[in-house]
Amino acid sequence: MKKWEPKITAFLCNWCSYAGADLAGTSRFEYPTNIRIIRLPCSGKVDPLFIVKAFENGSDGVLVSGCHPGDCHYTSGNYHARRKFAMFRKLIEFYGIDIKRIQFSWVSAAEGGKWAEVATQVTEDIRKLGPYEPFKKEAVVQGCSVHPMNNEKGILN
Amino acid sequence: MARIGVFVCWCGSNIAETVDSEGVGEYAAKLPGVAVSMDYKYTCSDPGQKMIIEAIREHKLTGVVVASCSPRMHETTFRRTVAGVGLNPYLLEMANIREHCSWVHHDKEAGTEKAKILVRMMVEKVKHNHKLYPIKVPVTNRALVIGGGIAGIQAALDIAKEGHEVIIVEKQPSVGGHMSQLDETFPTLDCSQCILTPRMVEIIQDKNIKLYAYSEVESVSGFIGNFKVKIRRKSRYLKESECTGCSDCEEPCPVELKNEFNEGLDTRKAIYRPFTQAVPNSFLIEKTKEPAPCKVVCPIGQNVQGYVALMSKGKFKEALKVVRETNPFPSVCGRVCTHVCETACNRSRIDEPISIASLKRVLGDFEAANPELITYAKPEETKSEKVAVVGAGPAGLVCAYDLAKAGYKVKVFESTPVAGGMLYLGIPEYRLTRDVIAREVKAIQDMGVEIELNSPVDDAQELLKKGYKAVFLGIGCQKGKDLGIEGEDAEGSTDAVAFLKKVNLGETTKVDGNVIVVGGGNSAIDAARSALRLGAKQVKIVYRRSKKEMPADPREVEDAEKEGVSIEFLSNPTKVITENGRITEVECLRMELGEPDGSGRRRPVPVKGSEFIIKSDLLIRAVSQAMEQDFDKSENIKLSRWKTVDVDPLTLATSVDGIFAGGDGVNGPETVVRAMEDGYIAAESIKRFLTSRDLKEGRNFPAHKVTEEPAERLFEGVEKASRVKIPEISIEDRNNFKEVASVLSDEDAIKEAKRCLNCGICSECGECGKACEKDLIDHNMEDEIVEEDVGAIVVATGYDLMDPSVYEEYGYKKYPDVLTSLEFERMVSASGPTNGKLIRPSDGQTPKNVVFVQCVGSRDEDKGYPYCSGICCMYTAKHTMLFKHKVPDGKAFVFYVDVRASGNNY
Repeated sequence: MKKWEPKITAFLCNWCSYAGADLAGTSRFEYPTNIRIIRLPCSGKVDPLFIVKAFENGSDGVLVSGCHPGDCHYTSGNYHARRKFAMFRKLIEFYGIDIKRIQFSWVSAAEGGKWAEVATQVTEDIRKLGPYEPFKKEAVVQGCSVHPMNNEKGILN
Repeated sequence: MARIGVFVCWCGSNIAETVDSEGVGEYAAKLPGVAVSMDYKYTCSDPGQKMIIEAIREHKLTGVVVASCSPRMHETTFRRTVAGVGLNPYLLEMANIREHCSWVHHDKEAGTEKAKILVRMMVEKVKHNHKLYPIKVPVTNRALVIGGGIAGIQAALDIAKEGHEVIIVEKQPSVGGHMSQLDETFPTLDCSQCILTPRMVEIIQDKNIKLYAYSEVESVSGFIGNFKVKIRRKSRYLKESECTGCSDCEEPCPVELKNEFNEGLDTRKAIYRPFTQAVPNSFLIEKTKEPAPCKVVCPIGQNVQGYVALMSKGKFKEALKVVRETNPFPSVCGRVCTHVCETACNRSRIDEPISIASLKRVLGDFEAANPELITYAKPEETKSEKVAVVGAGPAGLVCAYDLAKAGYKVKVFESTPVAGGMLYLGIPEYRLTRDVIAREVKAIQDMGVEIELNSPVDDAQELLKKGYKAVFLGIGCQKGKDLGIEGEDAEGSTDAVAFLKKVNLGETTKVDGNVIVVGGGNSAIDAARSALRLGAKQVKIVYRRSKKEMPADPREVEDAEKEGVSIEFLSNPTKVITENGRITEVECLRMELGEPDGSGRRRPVPVKGSEFIIKSDLLIRAVSQAMEQDFDKSENIKLSRWKTVDVDPLTLATSVDGIFAGGDGVNGPETVVRAMEDGYIAAESIKRFLTSRDLKEGRNFPAHKVTEEPAERLFEGVEKASRVKIPEISIEDRNNFKEVASVLSDEDAIKEAKRCLNCGICSECGECGKACEKDLIDHNMEDEIVEEDVGAIVVATGYDLMDPSVYEEYGYKKYPDVLTSLEFERMVSASGPTNGKLIRPSDGQTPKNVVFVQCVGSRDEDKGYPYCSGICCMYTAKHTMLFKHKVPDGKAFVFYVDVRASGNNY
């Protein structure tokens, strides 16, 4: 049996954070392999349900990252994201999700180094918190003895 | 059923070093829905792309996943590839196994595992993808350029050259911006105007460019490609397109203001053009939204700023005409008006208000001295309707005058033997001489108004039956009110109205003994001073409050005291003591001030046991007046609860159709100018009534309230100058009814008029309109809002000069010889205020040593300037050269923090 590794879903906006993650690559900044990046046009696109679904489908942690305030490619999308998150934080907590497993960050297209730091930090934080199962779908839990995301019965079926 | 093709790239060793691309490909082949999976060294190369194309054809793929670099790198490439063989480009996804995987991980096993997952994610995603088709959105093929400085001008010209329409909006009256203020440009010292003006002219000439000068963008809505822009075209008060820039209007304008174009180093007129080469080459009038406060508060809306401005230029004839436009009593008002205009005058924020009333008196006397100069307005047409006016006081005469001006036949019925009403009967001669009243009444008669003296009207409605189509009641308040104390009807007791009437009609020519006047208003003062002039031994005013609460004009009170009238403040008569039915003494009681009453003044409360006796041969009661109800025998005209005529405040219509009323008979005892206002309001109502128009439509109750704060710049640099002293005859010479105050000399009047701050900017004196041969001036022009559709917007709004006066240590605005760079620039410019002569403002001498201080306000966050402009060092380098050109033997010193100007290595 392989050692448990945290699985983290990251929702990144196309214009800043995704490009920042690209820059981390171009600059060869190393970070753990646990993060799965989902590219979105804007952090404002993040629906709280995406976060819930990420946990349902096997994530141990979720990261949302967008442009710095004032730098949104769509002028104000990241403000919408921030406001939405502030509002849904309570709801997500009420729903029972451990709020510590959701992180938010601003990473610009020029901040490759910062992305590597954020990715490393989030992985470490979630690793400390351990596996997170209360919301996983049964199928996922059953098959998740090692890597739920890497399982035939896992989330991507 | 999905048929996905997966193509895993090696990217040479970039991916293959950390990710087993072959293994990933094999893994992908087994994923559900994957029809084909391959790996290749360089997928983005031609053979790589060909591989994809063939696979799509061969396997009839419904989706493609390319696992290679970031989609931000090659998504477009592969989309084009798949589109080339007829697959919708949005059915392609890229798994980023380079930037997000191979380059950031070193462990090949973990990297390969992650790459597999990334591929699997994308395979799943592409199954959900839909075909997408780009839509076409119409784009408005026009651009908006905000700002008409050199940047905006060049942008507009460049866009226009490409064949697009351009709208350029400039908030100043001319395009050109700051560059038009520059003398020469750095570093070649080319003439700035020579470079700029051809481009300014091009703006007008280019058919693709539409210029909105003196306009501002109000709002922008819509989205890229299709904006809607609202532009406010500020009113120039003249027709811009027709103005030829001849400048005939400029000279006669009496209003001088700081010239912004020359940075305030000289003046310009209220009608102006910022500089000779202005584009558009049109003049404009600058005006505040609301007229100057003096005009706003005046009950008859006298254009005070207008005539004061004209007087400041010595144009008395023109000034008189401005006064006459809304006032048939210039001389009367110049003497006895309570001048609320002076109370509202903004000059008092600096020192003292302009002596407006005395200036008007100068005009009245000027009129008397030059009757041939004055041509009274003659009725424009004659109308058949007759109107009757009851009472020849200020309200009635103004109403008659205004109606006569409109062509109506007006007859005024006056019960006394004189015309003028309270002007004659109430105001003593030493304040308002009879010849002045006679002269101005005659001018009204010259307009065609008929005045019938000694003709009391006892039934106003009868007049309507006699063929008068409308009646105005200007009956005034002719009855003095009683004190309500014991013995006040004794012989030797009278009221101020009756007393003054007898004095003014010449029936009372002598007063003996001790006189007591009760009251604190202007009538009390008038009665007291008249009694003193008629020989009274002693005159005492008894007033129940203190001096501060006295409603009389403070100047009048002061004069009365100077002449010898004594005033018992905080006293109230309680009993008149008589002997044989004749008054001998008056018993009074001391008062003290209690809580404020409804009028805001503190209510006087009697002090118990404080009775005292004053000897008295004559008691004059001056405690308000009442209307006499002898004009309405049939008693059909409704009265208010104060026993005055009840009228609609907006129209002054009484309860009887066709009968209007105003003045004291409606308002109670009030000022002359207030009665005149009613005369005008009633005349307007009567004109509407006689032409069957709605009495109320479009009329507002006149608030006479100032709502606009004066602009700061009105007060800037204004030096204190005290108000002119009105010459008066000596105290010794006041034992008669000679006029106390005399008229200002013409020189004093001009000097006083020059103190005016021109709060309304344009004074609406009308001089420019007379000068404009094309008759383009329109003072009622309003701002216009235009809407334009544009596809793109260029913002080129330029800069504002930092105000160095926030740095007190430099003494800017404190010392005249400390200038800003732009002021220096204007001074050395041949088109500037000194025609290019460099002078020291304090003494006009050529400066030999000039210090240039740079970096003022640079990177000073405390003062709100966190940045360095990066231009001043360059700018100052130019200034030192300009200085050396002007003063070859002069020395320039430059003080700076550091030199940071960037650019072509200057």
